[in-house]
Amino acid sequence: MAEVYNWQLGRPMEYIYEEAHPNRQFAAIFNINRCIGCQTCTGACKATWTFSKGQEYMWWNNVESKPYGSYPKYWDVKILQQLDEAHQAVGKTAVWDPTQTGEQSPYGVYNGMTITEAAGQTQNGNQALGYLPTDHEWQAPNFYEDTATKYQGDRLGISTEGAALPVHQTWFFYLQRICNHCTYPACAAACPRKAIYKREEDGIVLIDQSRCRGYRKCVEQCPYKKSMYRGTTHTSEKCVGCYPRVEGNDPLSDGVPMETRCMAVCPGKIRLNGLVDIAEDGSWVEDPQHPLYYLIRVEQIALPLYPQFGTEPNIYYIPPRWAPRPYLRQMFGPGVDQAIERYSNPSRTVLALLQLFRASQKMVFRFEIEEGPLVREVEKNGQPWQMYDDTVIGFDAQGREIARLSVVEPMIERGAERLNSI
Amino acid sequence: MMTRSRLLFLALLAVAGVLTFFKIPLASSQGVTITAAKIEGALPLDDVTAVEWQDATAVSVPLSAQIVAKPMFPQANVKAVDVRALYNDAQIAFLVEWADGTMDDTAVRVQDFADAVAIQFPLVEGQPFFCMGQQGGNVNIWHWKADWQAGMDGRQDVNDVYPDMYVDGYTFADTEAGAAAPVSSYTDINYVPAMAADNLFAAPTYASPVEDLIAGSFGSLTSQPIEMQNVQGHGAYADGKWRVIFVRDLASPQGEDAQFATGQVYSLAFAAWDGANEERNGQKSTSQWVSLQLGSIASSPGATGAAPAAGSRGSSANALEGVPYLLVPMFLVFGLVVLAGIGFWILSKLPEKK
Ligand code: SF4
Ligand code: SF4
Ligand code: SF4
Repeated sequence: MAEVYNWQLGRPMEYIYEEAHPNRQFAAIFNINRCIGCQTCTGACKATWTFSKGQEYMWWNNVESKPYGSYPKYWDVKILQQLDEAHQAVGKTAVWDPTQTGEQSPYGVYNGMTITEAAGQTQNGNQALGYLPTDHEWQAPNFYEDTATKYQGDRLGISTEGAALPVHQTWFFYLQRICNHCTYPACAAACPRKAIYKREEDGIVLIDQSRCRGYRKCVEQCPYKKSMYRGTTHTSEKCVGCYPRVEGNDPLSDGVPMETRCMAVCPGKIRLNGLVDIAEDGSWVEDPQHPLYYLIRVEQIALPLYPQFGTEPNIYYIPPRWAPRPYLRQMFGPGVDQAIERYSNPSRTVLALLQLFRASQKMVFRFEIEEGPLVREVEKNGQPWQMYDDTVIGFDAQGREIARLSVVEPMIERGAERLNSI
Repeated sequence: MMTRSRLLFLALLAVAGVLTFFKIPLASSQGVTITAAKIEGALPLDDVTAVEWQDATAVSVPLSAQIVAKPMFPQANVKAVDVRALYNDAQIAFLVEWADGTMDDTAVRVQDFADAVAIQFPLVEGQPFFCMGQQGGNVNIWHWKADWQAGMDGRQDVNDVYPDMYVDGYTFADTEAGAAAPVSSYTDINYVPAMAADNLFAAPTYASPVEDLIAGSFGSLTSQPIEMQNVQGHGAYADGKWRVIFVRDLASPQGEDAQFATGQVYSLAFAAWDGANEERNGQKSTSQWVSLQLGSIASSPGATGAAPAAGSRGSSANALEGVPYLLVPMFLVFGLVVLAGIGFWILSKLPEKK
């Protein structure tokens, strides 16, 4: 076991391999608030990568309705339960210390055990906690779709007032999931053959299809259950981060990195995908003009999914602002309240940056904002809030402008002569 | 009041009882010798009950769970394999038998693991580390898999396991065939990436149920290239037992293959996996190194150890008979010391009979 630094936990932790970081890391933000649950992302991935024999049940991208939906069934409840039992077995509690925030510990310090540390405690012969979901657990990827919790506060579960912010009394939300291309992948730790590797150029985690022997240790120990077994080849497969697009080898891409298929198709415009520069020690190179850096590290409105698992996942979520906070804190850590506050009352930069989501198929590497006029002044949560019609400009890897959008969408009136022209 | 000596006797009896009850083997396989019997004519290649096997003495090789490297599984199921070996002028054959309550010969569903057995030979002088060899001490491994055996007459496919499945057709495969389209019908094998990467696990057909591999430490196990796969075999399940034959030419032109010659003594080791117990990779039972001797011993410098005569027809000797010493696993030594300590502590508390 080596000791590595996990900035999402604000502390060093145990991992099988020494720290060795890619030059750039594949990362993305998913804005849960905007998702319409259309599964276009799911279908795009399927149509690109998993339409072949033996992959029928595979959804490298899936969207599940929380709190009941999950693919494979109950994956997060099961792994959370294992982690909890491991803590109980040694008389520990998994708590965060949010007072110790700093540059290297933006969410405070996690004082519980990760899935790797807990496995060391239980001596179960594996590198991480986990379990192998059966085919039955994989078979209904969208079970409990749109199923909300019962209305709290009425015996029959019927509300006379309806739901209202800040927390809805009956709720569900969509959770969009792909492989997190983790900084400390549990799948790679679990593989006894070292058949799983993290690419130096972009941090994408891949399974070497010539070395895989179908042991399914990665399926068992990826806490997000994003490694899947293919019965026709007797090997495991997983999300490949659409690496030909990220490399800029797609015919459409003009030689610059492009967003993945699942990101680029999203009609809800919830996704922003890019590559962030990583320093030798694994920290993010300061780059406040990078949209991902700004939203994740400066404003911290997007948070990792179940950071307590300890794999340092690289898909970040803007939490749904209507869901109960304890549930969200369990899922995204202690940064939830601040993230929702900053998303609900966005700064000028955040509001402008939110327009950049899905503005181009090419990855945005730098943004600039041109200031516009004040267009609205309202009160939000008892505080005055101003909206400016700023313009955000996005640039690709070669510094070429690829997107320009204003906060207020331009209004174009159809002339009377064209009223019936459709 | 009992005397101390009587108490000590009872304590020892209890320890023996506990060990017997939990079937804890007291002996390691050190000192076990498998003697390959020479026969005239062809070796039985795919008949596990052939009369020729009676020419060889069955030797029981004890196995225990691999607990050196993660992932491990202290509850591994297979406790011993019975081994016979035959050879003629050209080839050598092993028959490995072990008890397994279930026949697990499919690996199509995510939760299915197949039974398997392997033989390991050092590729260097002496005995490298008995689990997967070590750096500078490569080993040659022959790995038989129950699912490969079942797939010899046609690979198991998802539509065999899920007969009610429906698809319109698979792009790049035989679209007319619907769900029955075999993976081998893919016109663009990049959509079957493990097959495109020449992974034997994904080969559209199996040339043998035995895979020929090399290894030089944990995690280094590597299949030999397709054109260098030269171990044949056949396995059959009956009466709660697997019986698996391995066959190869005595001499191989390949540097990464074990070699065999009459009158010589070689080291080899065994491993077995119970698929029903989700055993795979390092989660298995292994033996220590044991010896293999081809025929009666020649006065050659390579020969070591005692040289029992080649097995007499029909006899089935106990492998532990005549073993010069028993190597007791360390944890058992430790356990016995602790038990003895507790015994003496109890005894010291008892008043001595006057
Ligand atoms: S999400 Fe799972 S499969 Fe993906 S890198 Fe992390 S541990 Fe591996
Ligand atoms: S990044 Fe590509 S491979 Fe991964 S889920 Fe999205 S579309 Fe599928
Ligand atoms: S395509 Fe976008 S909006 Fe539709 S389900 Fe996927 S993430 Fe949500």
